[in-house]
Amino acid sequence: MIRNWVGFYTLSSREILRFFTVWKQTIIPGIVTTLLYIFVFGVALEDRITEIDGISYKMYILPGLLMMNVITNAVANTASSMLQMKLLQTLPELLITPLSSLELSVSFIIGGTVRGFVNGILILLICIMAGMEIRDPISTIFIIFIVSWSFSSLGLFIGQMSDSWDQLALIQNFVLTPLSFLGGIFYSVNMLPEWGLAISKVNPVFYTINSLRYATLGVSDAPFFNSMVFIILFSLLLTTLAVKTMESGKKIRF
Amino acid sequence: MNEIAIHINNLHKKYDETVYAVQGINLSIRKGEFYGLLGPNGAGKSTTINAITSLVKPTEGDIKVFDRDIVSDFRYARSKIGISPQEISNDWFFPVEQLLYFQAGFYGIKRKDAKERIDFILNKVGLYNHKDKKMRQLSGGMKRRLQIARALAHDPDILILDEPTAGVDVALRHDLWNFLQQLHKEGKTILLTTHYIDEAELLCEKVGILNNGKLIAEDTVSNLKSSVDKSKLEDVFLELTGRTLND
Repeated sequence: MIRNWVGFYTLSSREILRFFTVWKQTIIPGIVTTLLYIFVFGVALEDRITEIDGISYKMYILPGLLMMNVITNAVANTASSMLQMKLLQTLPELLITPLSSLELSVSFIIGGTVRGFVNGILILLICIMAGMEIRDPISTIFIIFIVSWSFSSLGLFIGQMSDSWDQLALIQNFVLTPLSFLGGIFYSVNMLPEWGLAISKVNPVFYTINSLRYATLGVSDAPFFNSMVFIILFSLLLTTLAVKTMESGKKIRF
Repeated sequence: MNEIAIHINNLHKKYDETVYAVQGINLSIRKGEFYGLLGPNGAGKSTTINAITSLVKPTEGDIKVFDRDIVSDFRYARSKIGISPQEISNDWFFPVEQLLYFQAGFYGIKRKDAKERIDFILNKVGLYNHKDKKMRQLSGGMKRRLQIARALAHDPDILILDEPTAGVDVALRHDLWNFLQQLHKEGKTILLTTHYIDEAELLCEKVGILNNGKLIAEDTVSNLKSSVDKSKLEDVFLELTGRTLND
């Protein structure tokens, strides 16, 4: 239970302010990258790949691009904040305060969630400006929120377990980026051979992209209900993992 | 003055299967006492301090702060302690004043209630005119003073200072000594670790000497000096730890 509400609020605010103070690093790049993807893949390739599931290719890739941006930012915020605090020696000063492991974990997760969510909403605005009509706005907002929360939790776990920026980069480059690209950002997984389809169905990013694609465009490679159940369970699992790892004190208390 | 602020009972800490950083330390620090914990490098000073603040999990033994267990009653115990760590931390993102507001907030003090205290501390440590600067704009001495200011932000009863004057010039060291003496007069319990034995001799009422993870001596400065018939605490330290100045 959260009891130190002022401390909890203070740390959550600190985590949110931290990424806003460096908005040129935490907000602008996602927008620029997404615009580039839209231009290169959407505009340049649209003549060759006209439609998938009756949706223009440019529109089809937008939910995936949005989700990739949300995931990258949510993970990066908590992972880099935790690792930076470890390397700059500011974490011990936080760990000796009367904040419980739950209060610490959730405060960090809120910071990452807000960053993922803010980036997601900005990309959503770009999508709307690009002509996307949002079929189910409430589900869309909810999916952006819960995916931000899930991957923010994952980032906290990764940050606590990492000892260097190299280790963090390894996980981002060799786990998260491939999962995002193989989750069906740029294609329908039904275009893949049997084995590719089977692999996609155990990739959590596949469900995040497809739930959002259904909520925005009304098409999906997986049933919407199944995808929602999966991402909610995934969120609970990652939150528990992050809180339990913080409680264990692994790599932060000795 | 008989209330015990910190009680350490049979503290053991093993970082791996063979090496004990601390073995069987028993220690009591009275409320309002200025206590010095001395020892050569690797003697177990930082491990002991980190165990008090729960950064280190004891292999055996328990620690109480004002008679409350630091694990089962961690909120109470931690709220009573302010620590200035040996390593200077570097928070790049926020200015000095904001860092102190955060620090007070972590301890449950609302921003509006913290203002007076933070202004007071900033003046005390001579950082009021630098309150809008970020840490990277501060000199080494200022960073050290900020560490102490952060430790005091929630007005703790116990102040733990791990090598507070390491790397600090002579003038600032004397300023810090005066400041610590003033805090002591105001009733703060202070636990100091230092490599400057003269510092401990000047400031501390009671001194504990650690060597190889064990508390090998503990008494007032004058009693320690008379116990081995030495006139300076530094000589007592060298005698008891079996070291020479060349070690």
